[in-house]
Amino acid sequence: MFFRVIDKVRLPDLVRGLATEYEVIAPVEKDGRFVYAPLEDPGLLRLDYDTTLLPPKKWFFPAEETLMRFRVADNEVLNDEVAVAPRVLFGLHPCDINALLLMDNVFTGKYPDPYYMRRREKTLLIGVSCTPSDTCFCNVWDTNEVHWGFDVFLTDMGDRYFASCRTVKGAEIIDRFVENRAVIDEDTREFQSVVHDFKDAFHRDVDTTQLPVLLDAKFDSPIWDEFGEKCLSCGACSMVCPTCYCFDVHDRLDPDQKSGVRARTWDSCQFKEFAAVAHGQNFRDSRASRVKYRYYHKQWGYLSKFERVLCVGCGRCARACPAGINPVNVIAALQTGEVR
Amino acid sequence: MSTTQGVAARDIQANPYHPWPARITSITNLTDKEKLFELRLIDEDVREAFEFQSGQFVELSIFGVGEAPISISSAPSKQGFIELCVRDSGDVTGALHAKQCGDVVGLRGPYGRGFPFEEMKGHDVLLVAGGLGIAPLKSLINHIHDERHEFGKVTILYGSRNPAEVLFRYQFDMWKHRDDFDLILTVDQPDDTWDGETGLVTKLFDQIDVDPDNTYGAICGPPVMYKYVIDEMRKKDMDVDRIYVSFERRMKCGIGKCGHCGVGHQYTCVDGPVFNYWEAMNLQGAI
Repeated sequence: MFFRVIDKVRLPDLVRGLATEYEVIAPVEKDGRFVYAPLEDPGLLRLDYDTTLLPPKKWFFPAEETLMRFRVADNEVLNDEVAVAPRVLFGLHPCDINALLLMDNVFTGKYPDPYYMRRREKTLLIGVSCTPSDTCFCNVWDTNEVHWGFDVFLTDMGDRYFASCRTVKGAEIIDRFVENRAVIDEDTREFQSVVHDFKDAFHRDVDTTQLPVLLDAKFDSPIWDEFGEKCLSCGACSMVCPTCYCFDVHDRLDPDQKSGVRARTWDSCQFKEFAAVAHGQNFRDSRASRVKYRYYHKQWGYLSKFERVLCVGCGRCARACPAGINPVNVIAALQTGEVR
Repeated sequence: MSTTQGVAARDIQANPYHPWPARITSITNLTDKEKLFELRLIDEDVREAFEFQSGQFVELSIFGVGEAPISISSAPSKQGFIELCVRDSGDVTGALHAKQCGDVVGLRGPYGRGFPFEEMKGHDVLLVAGGLGIAPLKSLINHIHDERHEFGKVTILYGSRNPAEVLFRYQFDMWKHRDDFDLILTVDQPDDTWDGETGLVTKLFDQIDVDPDNTYGAICGPPVMYKYVIDEMRKKDMDVDRIYVSFERRMKCGIGKCGHCGVGHQYTCVDGPVFNYWEAMNLQGAI
């Protein structure tokens, strides 16, 4: 990795420089909360944000997208191109970068997903260090650190940033767009101090010992009925989750009925019809079974394939849940057998 | 874990969601609700590259309506065409039923893990189907038929609700007279024409002999059936890892991404739909 130091006052230069060649998407304030949005003015950039309402996944896997245009008569695909202009996602926290790495596992593999991958290829990622908020529990999964998956990562050291350039492209944009200097020993010592303080700022902990075994061994635990009673099956947890990738596919005909589009939309395993088959059988008919499945898949199903849990501890689901279900409490309940 | 560089370096391959046009070359009415469709992929290269195993499925695509996962009923030994046995039970299957011979639909696949045909060779095979569960097993049955000398005793137990719902009856009626297949059909509700057995498929286990050290089992049927048929196979001392089951689950993509077909910690579409019973026992909520 290649390291540089950037004075904080110079940061707008980097944003302005990037904007000449890329669409810059960054955290901005909206109604007192934060969202990733195209950055119209470098002055609107809010690198002090806590967390965004929606995770960055929507820039790679939109809530609704067209997969292909088709013609009905001969069942032919007319167009399945994904047009993406070069973009920079600026200001991602470590949890959200780690979340994209988890998404990559799903959308690559034996059947690479061209829609996701095209956007991923066209998008530079610039990460920035953060301050833990009261719903963050990334420390539980070690996702408060990120080692790859970004082009540049900026660690805030008060009056300057410690810039870790992971890719050639990342090093190039730092050199081209902002005044910077080489790292000296004092910078590295400061970096160490800052990242230690950051790690020490996490206080939330939960026992994650042997979760896959517990999920199987306590499959019939009454805790799931209790969480099932609370859950409203609204699916908000999935929508705001940076690692939830499930989708539904549907066809929509044009008014002339001769052509149309096949589109996909975000879906949620919390919706009642999610596992229902044509003959009327629903494999997860009860709310309890659906809440359980969400945790079962994240902490065991995904793990069985990719050796990581499908959660980065961003806490968005805990904030979004109208019934107050917090994953930290669910995992604690699984350990203790008691819902608190 | 993959990296940004990794993604950038990889070429975008052919779109896996892109269905290939296939022409309906024959339609056979099997019952009031089920038809057998024979399909031929139109593009020659695609057709030649389409190799599958018994137990695998395709995504059948009718633009304007949608896609549905359908198991392949013909044997891999039948070249150039595939057969799908389809019940009219939803939007896509309903639209398929409305199609005529010569019409074009879309296919993606083949997907999933099929039955371990090569591993089964040299052994006896006990196939148990309930209702539409015969559809994927029919591929295996036909494949075994085409390489019959490779197998020991082959027993087929097939249960239906009533005589009118027996699928492939024309073929099975002929097979009754063959020595190389022990075929027993049963229905829950017999009528005057019925000369087969009556009652659930599990009842037929009294009539068969199984060599537990040398027999592979294959089961497909409605979800309620599995537990009872597996119990009967276990009573015959068959090994848990030689009993194979094929599951039906809701699917959208067929390629391990959309998440609908999750069963236990696995996905039916890429890890199944065929699992052995040991694997299935380790999938919470599967059976």
